Amino acid sequence: MDIVPQLITNSLIAGSIYAILTLGFNLTYGTAKFIDMGYGVLAVIGGYSVFYFSKLLGLPLWLGALLGITISGLVSYLAYTFIYKPLRARKSSGAVLLIASLGVLTALQAVIAILFTSQFQTLSSLLSGNRIFELFGGTFTAVQLSIFGIGVVLFTVLAFLLKYTLFGKAVTAISDDEEVSKIVGINTDRIVGCIFFISGGGIGNIYGGIAGAFLLAFAENFGIWKIAGEWKGAITFGLLIMFLLWRPQGIFKR
Amino acid sequence: MEYLIHLAILVGIYAILALSLNLAVGYTGLILSKFDDDYYALASFGFNIIIFSVFLNWQELTRGPLGIPGIHRPEIFSFSFSDNLSFLLLTSVFLLLVFLVCRHITESSFGRALKAIREDEEALQIFGYRTLNYKLAVFVVGAMLASVAGALFASYITFIDPSTFTVSESIFILSAIILGGLASNRGAIIGAVVLILLPEFLRFVGFPSDIAAQTRQAVYGILLVVLMLYRPQGLVGEYKL
Repeated sequence: MDIVPQLITNSLIAGSIYAILTLGFNLTYGTAKFIDMGYGVLAVIGGYSVFYFSKLLGLPLWLGALLGITISGLVSYLAYTFIYKPLRARKSSGAVLLIASLGVLTALQAVIAILFTSQFQTLSSLLSGNRIFELFGGTFTAVQLSIFGIGVVLFTVLAFLLKYTLFGKAVTAISDDEEVSKIVGINTDRIVGCIFFISGGGIGNIYGGIAGAFLLAFAENFGIWKIAGEWKGAITFGLLIMFLLWRPQGIFKR
Repeated sequence: MEYLIHLAILVGIYAILALSLNLAVGYTGLILSKFDDDYYALASFGFNIIIFSVFLNWQELTRGPLGIPGIHRPEIFSFSFSDNLSFLLLTSVFLLLVFLVCRHITESSFGRALKAIREDEEALQIFGYRTLNYKLAVFVVGAMLASVAGALFASYITFIDPSTFTVSESIFILSAIILGGLASNRGAIIGAVVLILLPEFLRFVGFPSDIAAQTRQAVYGILLVVLMLYRPQGLVGEYKL
C-alpha cells in the first residue's frame, strides 16, 4: 500500500485537532494578549471529563462530551476571573501573566494526575461501533471523520459569530484596542470572560491558526515518515523556532 | 541525619541551578524581558523539548530512556567523595564558588550593563553597547554554571536519564528564582531552599509517593499564581516583573 495517502489522511486528522485547539487559543491570545500556557490543560480536562462521565459513570458519549465542554469552559472562566482579570486590571506585563498561567498549568495537571492517576486511560470500549472507511488509499475511522467534521463546523460557526454578531464585533474591537473599546462602552471584562469560557469549550478562531495547525500536522506526519516517530516533538518545536526566527508574524500577516 | 544531608545536597545543587538561571533571566531579562517576552519564552520551551528528545533518541550516546547507570562519585588525589557527608562538602564548595562567580559578574561593570539591558536595551544600544554580545556571554556563563549542577547531580545519584530534566524541571527552577526574587543572588538561594524543603513536609503527612509527587507539583503551581498575584518581585527581589 502506498503510504502517502495515509500520511495525508493522518495529517488532516491531526490538523483538525490542532485547528480546534488553535481556534480557542487564538481567541484568547487575540483579546487578552498574553500566552496562556494553561490552555493545553483545558483540552485535557475535556478529555478526562468524557472519560469520567461516559466510561466511569456510564453516561452516553454525547452527554459526556457536552459536560466536558462545559467543565473546561467553567475552569477557564474561573481562572480568568480570579487570576488573569485582577492581573490585567493591574496592567501586569505579559511575563507575569505567562508565569501565572504556567502556575495554572502545573497545578491543574497535578490535580488531574491525583484524581485519575498518571497512567493513561483508554476510551476505546466506548467506540465499539467505530467503522473504518477508505478513500483514495487512506483509511480512517468514523471518530476521526467526525473530528474533521467538528473542526469544520466549529470554524464556520465561529467565523460567522465573529463576523456577523454584536459579540463578534466586540471581540474584534477588543483585540484591536481594548482601551478604546472600553471607552465606547463595550463591557470588555465580560467579553474577555466569555472568550475564556468559549475557548475552554473548544470553539475558536481564524485562518492563520488553521493554516498553522495543518502545516504543523503535515510537517509532523511527513517528518516521521522520513525521520522517525520519536522525533515528533523535536520537529514540532524546531518548526516553531524556525518561524519565531524568520517569520515571527506567522504565515499570514495580521 | 542521612536524610538531612541528602536534602542539603539537593538544596545545594538546585541553588546552583537557580543562581545560573537567575544570571540569564533575572539580570538580562532574557526570556522574561518586557519587550518580546512571549517569543523568548516560547522558543526556550521549544528548545527544552527538542533537546529532551535528542537525549531520548540519541541512543548510542545516552542509552535513551534506559539512562546511564553506575556514574562514579568524583575523586581527588585518591580521595573519593563516596559518603554523603563529604559529597555535601563538595557541593557546598561548588555552591560557594558559583555564588562568588555570580556575585562578581553582577557587581562588576559588566553586570551593570546587563541590568541596563534589562531595563532598556535600546537605550544601551544607542550608547554603543553591543547588547547581543552581553546577552550571549551571560547566557553561555549561565549554561556553564548549570552544567556544574548537572555534573554534581549525576555523580550524586550515580545515574542519569533524560526524564530527569524535563520542562517541569525548568519550571521548578524558574519558580525558585521568582519566589526568591529575580535579579538577586541571595534570592535565588533562598528560593531553592524554600522550594526543596516546603514539599518535604508533605512527606510527613503520609501521602502515597505518587500522590505526594503530584501534590508537590500542585503546590508549585499554586505558589506561582499566588506570587504573581500578590508579590511579583519575590521575597527579596529588586526587580518587579
